[in-house]
Amino acid sequence: MAKCSICGRPAIYVSRASGLAFCEKHFLEYFSRKVRRTMRKYRMFGPREHIVVAVSGGKDSMSLLHFLHNLSKRVPGWRVTALLIDEGIKGYREYTIKRFFRFVEENNIDYKIVGFREEIGYTLDEIVKMGRERGLPYLPCTYCGVFRRYLLNKAAREMGGTVVATGHNLDDIVQTYLMNIIGNDWAKIVRLGPVSGPSHHPKFVRKVKPFYEVLEKETTIYAIIHGLYDGFEECPYAPLSIRWNIRKMINQLEERSPGAKYSLLRSLETAIDILRKHGIGEEEQLYTCAICGEPSAHPICRACQLKLELGILRLSEERIRSLPEKARRMVEAAIRRGEKR
Amino acid sequence: MAVKVRILGDGEKEVAYREGMRVVDVLRELSLLENEYVVVRRGKVVAEDEELVDGDELVLYPVVSGG
Ligand SMILES: [Zn+2]
Ligand SMILES: [Zn+2]
Repeated sequence: MAKCSICGRPAIYVSRASGLAFCEKHFLEYFSRKVRRTMRKYRMFGPREHIVVAVSGGKDSMSLLHFLHNLSKRVPGWRVTALLIDEGIKGYREYTIKRFFRFVEENNIDYKIVGFREEIGYTLDEIVKMGRERGLPYLPCTYCGVFRRYLLNKAAREMGGTVVATGHNLDDIVQTYLMNIIGNDWAKIVRLGPVSGPSHHPKFVRKVKPFYEVLEKETTIYAIIHGLYDGFEECPYAPLSIRWNIRKMINQLEERSPGAKYSLLRSLETAIDILRKHGIGEEEQLYTCAICGEPSAHPICRACQLKLELGILRLSEERIRSLPEKARRMVEAAIRRGEKR
Repeated sequence: MAVKVRILGDGEKEVAYREGMRVVDVLRELSLLENEYVVVRRGKVVAEDEELVDGDELVLYPVVSGG
C-alpha cells in the first residue's frame, strides 16, 4: 500500500504522473500549494478584489467557492461572493441549487442567482425545443454556453465584481483544447489561457481559472473531503456534446500513459505562445453590441444573434435600418438563418 | 465472498472477493477507468492500491463533472 511521500502515513491519493503519494492532510497541502502557485504565476488577483465565483452547484465550482472563501479570510482586501446561473434544466439544476443554498447560508456568503427564464425569457429546455423546431444546427451546449457567458459577465458587473473566477480544471481545459484543434479554431485556442485577455471594454469583467493546473480527479477528492460532493447529477444534455467523446478518449489515454493530461496542457501553453508571436489574439478588440450594449467580440453579440435566430428577439424594420452597416448585416443574416428550412 | 460497490448515480454492484484484492482490481473488474472515479471506504478516500478485505463496501464518486 502506498505511503505518503511526506509523512509516511497511508496515502489516499497517488499521482501517477509524478509518482508522489499523499495522506489526506498532505493532499490538501499539495492541492492548496498548487492552486496558490497558479494564482501567483498568472497574477490572477490583486490585493484588493471583489471576486465573484461562478457557481453551478456542481463539485468543481463548489470546491472553488470553498477554497477562495477560506483563503479570503487571510486576505483583508478580498471579498468573495457567489453567482449561480440557473439555466432551467429540469431534473438537474434543482438539486445542485439546493447544495448551493446550503453552503452559502452556512458560510454567510453573499450571492446572486440569475435565471435564463428571467433574463433571456425562456429556460434552456424551452430554448432547445425552439431551436429544434426551427431546425437550427446547434447543440444544447451552444445555447447554454453563449447565454451563460453573457449573463455571467453582466451579472458579475452588476454585483460590483472586479474579477470572475470559474471552476474550470485541467481536464476541462485540455478537452476544450482538443475540441478546438479538431475544429481548427486557433482564435479560440489563444483565448484558452488561465486569465482572459487584456480587454479594455468598460463593461467587461476579467475572468480567471484558479484550478487551471488541477486535475479533475484532484478537485473531486477536495470536494469529497469537504463534504461538497454528496450526490451525482449529470446534465441531461451532456451526452449529446462532442466533449463527451473527447473526454473519454483523453481519460483512456491518461490511463495508458499517466501524465498525458499535463503534457496536453503544456502543449496548449506552447500553442498560445506561438499564436501570440504571430499576432493571433493580440488585438482582441471588443465591440459594444449594437443591440444590447454588452461587450462582444462581434458588432452584434452571440447572445443577440442566437436570440434573433430563435425568434426570441424581434427588431422593427426601422431599428434594423438605423444600425451601423456591419451590425445590420449580421442582424439580417441571423434572421435569415432563423427563417429558412 | 464479495465487495459491495455503490456507484453514485449508477446503482449498486457486487464484485467477487479474492485474496489480496486491491481497489484497482475492483475498478478493472467493472471496466472503469482509475482517473474517472474516486473511491471511498468507510467515509474515507482510499488510493487505488489500497488492499481490500472481504465484505468491504465501496462508494465510487464519478470524477466527470455534470457541468
Ligand atoms: Zn502525509
Ligand atoms: Zn447583444
